[in-house]
Parts: sequence; structure tokens; C-alpha cells
Amino acid sequence: MLAYVIRRLSYGGVVVLGVLFFLFVVFFWVATPDDIARRALGEKAPPEAIEQWKINHGYDRPLWPWQSLEDNMLFSHYESMLTFDFGRSDADDVPILEKIRTGAGPSLALTVPMFLLGLPLSVMLSLVVAVFRETYVDRMGVVLCVLGMSVSILLYIIGAQFLIAKLLRWFPISGFDPSPQVVMRFLSLPILVGIVSSIGSNVRFYRTVFLEEVHRDFVRTARAKGCGEARIMARHVLRNAMIPILTQVVIAIPFLFTGSLVLESFFGIPGLGALTVEAIQGNDFATLRTMVFVGALLFVVAQVLTDVSYSLADPRVRLE
Amino acid sequence: MMRVAQWVSSGAGVVRCVAVFACAAFALSCSNSPYPDRDDDVKILYSVYGEAPKTLDPAVSYNVSSSRIISAICETLLEYHYLKRPYELIPGLAAAIPEPVERADGTVAYPFALREGAMYQDDPAFELGEVGRKTRPVVTADYLFALKRLADPAVNSPVAHIFSKIVGLHAFGERLVERRKEPSFAALPLHEQYEAVGPVEGLVAQGDYAFEVVIDAPYPQMLYWFAMPFTTAVPWEAIAYYDGNEGRPRFADHPVGAGPFRMTHYDKQFRIVLERNPNWYGAMYPEWKAPGAVYPAEGEPADLEKGITSDALAGRQLPFLDRVEFRREKESIPVFNKFLQGYYDKSGINKESFDKVMDGNQLSEDMAAMGIQLDRVVDLAIYYIAFNQADETLGAPAGERGKKLRQAMSLAIDAEEYIELFHNGRGIPAQSVLPPGLFGYDADYRNAYREPDLARARALLEEAGYPEGVDSETGSPLKLRFDTYATNSAQLIPIRYLVDSWRKLGLDVEVESTTYNKFQEKVFNKAHQIFQWGWVADYPDPENFLFLLSSGMAGPGGPNSSNYRNPEYDALFDAMKARPNDEVRAETIREMLSLLEEERVWIELLYRESFVLFHDWISHYKPPGFEFSTLKYQDIDAQARAEWRRENNKPVLWPAYVLLAISIAVIVPGIVTLIRERQ
Repeated sequence: MLAYVIRRLSYGGVVVLGVLFFLFVVFFWVATPDDIARRALGEKAPPEAIEQWKINHGYDRPLWPWQSLEDNMLFSHYESMLTFDFGRSDADDVPILEKIRTGAGPSLALTVPMFLLGLPLSVMLSLVVAVFRETYVDRMGVVLCVLGMSVSILLYIIGAQFLIAKLLRWFPISGFDPSPQVVMRFLSLPILVGIVSSIGSNVRFYRTVFLEEVHRDFVRTARAKGCGEARIMARHVLRNAMIPILTQVVIAIPFLFTGSLVLESFFGIPGLGALTVEAIQGNDFATLRTMVFVGALLFVVAQVLTDVSYSLADPRVRLE
Repeated sequence: MMRVAQWVSSGAGVVRCVAVFACAAFALSCSNSPYPDRDDDVKILYSVYGEAPKTLDPAVSYNVSSSRIISAICETLLEYHYLKRPYELIPGLAAAIPEPVERADGTVAYPFALREGAMYQDDPAFELGEVGRKTRPVVTADYLFALKRLADPAVNSPVAHIFSKIVGLHAFGERLVERRKEPSFAALPLHEQYEAVGPVEGLVAQGDYAFEVVIDAPYPQMLYWFAMPFTTAVPWEAIAYYDGNEGRPRFADHPVGAGPFRMTHYDKQFRIVLERNPNWYGAMYPEWKAPGAVYPAEGEPADLEKGITSDALAGRQLPFLDRVEFRREKESIPVFNKFLQGYYDKSGINKESFDKVMDGNQLSEDMAAMGIQLDRVVDLAIYYIAFNQADETLGAPAGERGKKLRQAMSLAIDAEEYIELFHNGRGIPAQSVLPPGLFGYDADYRNAYREPDLARARALLEEAGYPEGVDSETGSPLKLRFDTYATNSAQLIPIRYLVDSWRKLGLDVEVESTTYNKFQEKVFNKAHQIFQWGWVADYPDPENFLFLLSSGMAGPGGPNSSNYRNPEYDALFDAMKARPNDEVRAETIREMLSLLEEERVWIELLYRESFVLFHDWISHYKPPGFEFSTLKYQDIDAQARAEWRRENNKPVLWPAYVLLAISIAVIVPGIVTLIRERQ
């Protein structure tokens, strides 16, 4: 298995190197350092200020190795990214690592409870629907799932802010404060919205997976042996349906770190999702390319983790 | 104990545990208050900001949200009287408003005397000067250092060109750039670099508490710049210490000043906190009764009626607030809803809520019943449609024909209808370049081309050689272009309205929508034709508006985006700008406005009127028409606010109980079945 993991990681490494090259072309060659400096300082910035800004950010050197082998931006781009020295933001000069460090907390505070509460709830509901398959409960469940999937998350957000925060006054409409006394007030509503908005698609997916297993021979055997329906679902169906569930779940775990773009933006949570949205809006290319790189890295790690989790969940799967 | 363990370990126990935990968590977090309860009785003003400040460096920051924060932290030499209109300067950290001294060589000197004993806020940066030192007095050297920073190209101050009027300051910047080519020089701390480059002729220290600023020619508006944060004192220690290294923030994220407040928390993504600065000269020396340190005794007559001025208030020591909290809000609807819940003290009115808030010209009964008050102020700003004078069809090259075309187009726009449709009536149709509140503004002045008159417009169009929008020379329809960076439909609708107004004359105006960068590029290259723009005052002087059409401001990147060049106008402008506010100046302004009336370089659209809502626990609040800090004059009745919030924010819990009952009704039979099955 170790050899497999190393092999997958090296494939992933190549992907990451490719992503880095793509980022370099987009953010340094298509948008030149002069463009980036002008966007950061304003169109009227004097040439001296632009030069100084480029020097401060290390954008004053030749782009390609054939222009200068010892000191070029391509090599230093690879070096800085691979050593996690992401430099400073183009927009406000703050070290990007510091931004990621401060943004990770709020993001995880939002996404981890959402994940930990949403997953068991979705699985539980799908099992219930699967138990009552081909009855009105099942049909009603499917209708509700499709309905839930069809509604945009923006509507969930606006609806929840209006109904729960404004009319019922259960939680603040938006905002964030990390102090322990009040943090849950701010997170409860976005967590609720996150869970409710994703429950439709999750239940529908898990239901399909469970229904496929329900008709298998081993289920019939278990039932013939006198096993109760609940035990069958929990012990036999759920365990055997783990591979597709893991595919969806494990790959999502690393991305908990990068937060939720939409929820963070609308609820004013200063996490990494909001950081990415702001980097896009504010032409902060340094932060943006770092977030794309971090995303690519997490994807590669998630892929390997998913493969490993298969072998742990199902002894028949061997990683060679 | 055993029974508890058994209960917990059973399946039903786990479900119950989770239910109890969830209920407890819900009950604990069930409050819509965004603030900790312990702050309920503290005099905190809660305010909002949308965009995270890029910089709080007073030499660089040039936007409203950052300025509000900086001007509360950094005391300026001069400031504006809180209540008087027209706006009037009063001394801040300067002992008096300097009298300009015209010299024989044409230069003008401004002698400043500082308040001796004024101190900076406590800050670890001051240990750089002396071990164990927390603060120090504000001295001349700090002002000279701050003014030199404005000329430093590496600082990139947006107002460097204004301060290049100081004799020798521009040359200082050039010398600095030259010397920085030596790596050993560039490695020196900034204050040492400035010292090594040598003195600036126009910045003359006269001891620790007096200095003279000499500018190359008369420019009476210079004084206003000393009421802006650009010219506030900057201690060299703060620049050297807050360099962004070894975990220290940058100076741009940690301003150090001598103002009434100091920043105690700065997380620009969601919260900025200012607290009363005990070192502020107003707090340290109440016996001075300095004009900027006590509540004013005089104001407008209406202020007396509103209770903004009174004998009880006059002379009271400032500031009243203990803390100011700025919370980040990206969307306007949550801001307004939180204001209605009492969590923000003030708010504007967003378009969506206007009909709910206003009943005609008055505050609606619902709002008044909530104790909400309304104040209006006409901003020192103008919004207009402009014609590029470099354009072949509409501009100066088209001569009289172009002028008549512009006049006809001006007569087709109904500003009153435009304001009603797109600004909920919040504005005054503009008649000239100058908004109300400025010297030279005449409320009775009526522009001959700013009342809609389609018949006259058609006649002018015919005289211009474009009857019904058709070019009589070529016989083909005239095609014009409206350049804009508006891209979404909400922004484009008002532009469509303008285009439709011109269509009534037969004119075909096409809207060309691009990105902001592309639009700026067009303006830079003079490739634009018709466009919409606005200007908000830096300071309350007509020069700050009339300069927008002077030749000196035309050209790539200049604020005269219309590229209007008229020697007659320039001569009048030069005569007007250096004069005091007397009858000659008023007459010159009248001549300039009448010239612009005929030329129709702009179609003056509106003077925006800001509607400010605030709760009645805020006392003596008077909104300013342009950006200057008023935080130190405002007061909060924290107890009344806390009571109001408690009364109006009780959570409505019955839906939660109904939900819980439904859940139990659905889940319990399932659990019972499960247990029975297991047995």
C-alpha cells in the first residue's frame, strides 16, 4: 500500500507542478507585474512607486530562466509556493500565510460542524427513506429532495436571514465575533443553512446507494436469518455502501479548510472562502494564486486519502 | 451511576443526549444580539464599514471608510466647526489658524504654532527613542517628517501633487529617489534617509513647537489640507517600528496618533475598535478649553430647536463616547435590518426599504413609533453627464454645431424625474457645478438649459444641423455613444433612461458598457464621448469644484475628464482661486458659471441628499455634508439603548416548540418500534 501511496503522491506532485506553471503563466505572463502593480497602487501611481512596489514584492526580476538563470521569477515562484512562503498580498501587503492562518479558524468553525452534523443526518434520513422504499414516505422524500436541490443556496440564505434572524430573532442576521461567549450565535444560522441546503442532494445520493445494496443477496440472507430491519440497514447495508459514501465524504474533508465561498460571503464570516472571493474582487493576484495552489494541493491529498480509505473500509480493495 | 451509564450507552440514551445537548446549545446561543452582553451598558457607538481598509497610513488613505478611522486617531492641525454652516475652520493641534504671509518673491508662508504638551497615544514604538518610554510630545519634527513623506515616491501619496506647491518639496522627492540607488542609503531607516537628503526650503522649523510652511504661489485653499489626515503628525518611531517584520504589523495597519481615540483592535476583515485616548490633549488639559476639545456653543438656528446646541452642552469636555466599534458589513440589507433591531445606531436608507421608511417627505409612522429620527443633509457633491470636448462630433472641434447639440441634449434631460425614479427623490436638481453649502452657490440661480424643454431642444438641434437627429450634411442619422463601466441591469437602467430622453429628439445614443479598467483606458486616451461622473468635495471651497473644468486639470489621468480647455474660463479660475470670499470672488464665480451654462460641457444632474436615520438614544448628532470626523461630538445613552434592545428583540420561540413537538411525534414512534424490534 505504501508503494501505491507514494506512486499516487508523485502523480499528484506532477499535477501540482503543472498547476503552478499554469498559475505563473496566468498571473505573471498574461497579467504582467506592471499591471499588477498598477492595479494595487492605482492608475495614477508614479513610475517610482510602481518600481518600488515591484521590488518589495519581488516582481522586478526577469520572468523566465532563459532571461536569467540564477535570478528569475519562475524559479522563485516554484520555490516560494513549494516552501509555503507565499509572500505578501498584492492588495494590502499583509503576509498571505498570516491571512490564511487567521481565515482558517472561522472557516473550520463553520465547515466542521456543518460536516459533522450534516453527514450523519443525511445518512440517517437516507436510511429511513430506504427502509420505507416504494411507499409514500419514500416518494415524499424524493420529492422533497428534488425540491431542496432545485432551490438556490442564495434563497436559503435570504429566507433564513429573513425568517429566523429577522422575524423570529433567534440568531444575528450576519457577522462574526470569535469570542467564545458569542461565536455560536453567529455560526448557528450559517451552519443550519449549510446543512439544509445540502441535505436534498446528499439524501438523494445516499438513498440510491442504499437501495442498490438493499436488493443484494446478503441482505436477503440476513433477513432470512431473522435479522431486524434496523440492524440490516445499519450493519449490512450501510457497511457495504461505504465505498461510494467515502468517495464523496473523504474528498470533502480537506476542503473544509478552504471554507465556503457563498456562506462566508453572505454571513460576513471572515474565513478563507470570503478571502478568496475578495481576492477575486480586489484583483489580489498573490492571494488568489495561493488559494488556487492550496486548493490543488488539497485535491491531490484528498484523492490519495480517498483511495486509502477504500482499503480501510473494504478489505477486498487492495492498493497495489 | 450505573443506571446513568446504561441509559447513556443505550441507543435511546445517545439520541436523548444529543437532543439535550442540541437544546442546551440552542438555548444558549438563541439571541440575535451580535455583541457580548457585558457591553450593554457601555457608551459604544456601533458603526459599519463595507470594504476592508487597504491602508490606514494617513499619507496614503484617500477613501471615506479609512478616513473616518484615521481622523479619529490622528489629530489634525486644523479641523471643521462641528455645527456651523457654511463650514468653518477651527484650530486643532495648532494653537491658532495661521495667517498667510505673502512675500516679495511671490511665495506665501503659513506660520503654525503647536499646542505645547500635546502627547501621542501610548505605544510600544516610542521605546525606539528611549527605553521604557510609552509616549512623547508632538513636536515640529513630526510634522516636517509627515510632510516629507508626502513627497516620497515610495510612499505613493495620492496628494503628492498638491503638496509639491511647498517650495523644494518636489525636489526633495527627486533627491531621495536618486540617493536610494545606493544600497547602503536605501537600507537606512526612513527618518535618517530624509535627514541625509537635506532640508526642504519650504519647511522651516522654528523650535520644537513652531514651524512655517512656504508655498510657491498664493493658494488660500492650502489651509483646508491641514484639516485632513494627510498632514497629521507622524512619529518617526512608528514608521521604523511598524515595518511588518517579526510579527509587528505595518504602519498602514497600525496608525499611531494624538487624536481623541486610539485603535485597540484591528481585524480589518470584520471588526475595528477605537477607544478613548487618555493622552489626547483635550483629556489631559481640560483647562485649555481648546475649540476642538469642548462642545461648541454656537451653531445654526435649527440646531437649537433640535437640541444639538444648548447652554448645558456648550463647553462640555469631549469625547463623550468610551468606544467606537466598526463592524464589517458587505450587504446593505443586513445593515438596515440590524439597525431596526437596534444593533447599529445609525443607518442610511437603502432603495428597497425606502417606501417602508418614508411616508412622502416624512418618516413613516412605524419608524417614528420606534423612536427613529431622520436628518437630511445635502452632500458637497455633484453628479453630472459630461461630453468629451476632444470629440469630433460633440466637442470643441465641432465648434458652434457641437455646442448647440450639447445644449439640445441638456434640455432633453429631466433631472427632477431622474431623481424621483432612481434616487427616491433624494436629491436636488443641479443648476450649476457648485452644490449648496459652498460660497458662490445661489439658490435662485436658474440655468437656461437645465429645465426640460423638448421644443427648444428640437429647435437647437435643427440649428446644429441635426433635424430629428439626422445629419443634414450627410443625410444619415447621427450616432452617438454613451461610455460607461456599468455592467449590470440595475446600473444600466438609469443610463437607458437618459438615452430614451435623447431618443425623444430623434438622437440615437448607443450605450457602450465595458469594465472599469477599459473605461479608464478610454478616458485616458480621450476615446470616450458621453459619460456620467461625480465629484465629492475634498474641502468646502468652490475652487474644489471649478478646478474640474480648468485646462490645468485636463490631460491623461487629470480630473478634467471632459478635456475642456477655455482660456477665458482659465483666466477667471485663476482670478477666483486666490481670492478670499468677497463680492469680487462671487462675481467671478457668476461669470464662470454663466460661461459653463452656455458651453454645456456638463449636463448638471443632481446634488445628492443623504437621509440619515438614527435612534433616539444618540444625542446631538449632526451629519456633515462631506467627510470630516464628528465622532468626538456624539453621545449615546447606553442604558436606554440596552432597554430598547431587550424589549424589541425577544426571540419568538413558539415555532421552535412546534418543530420540536413535530420531531418528537415523528421520531419517538420510530425509536419505540426499533426498541421493540430489538427485544
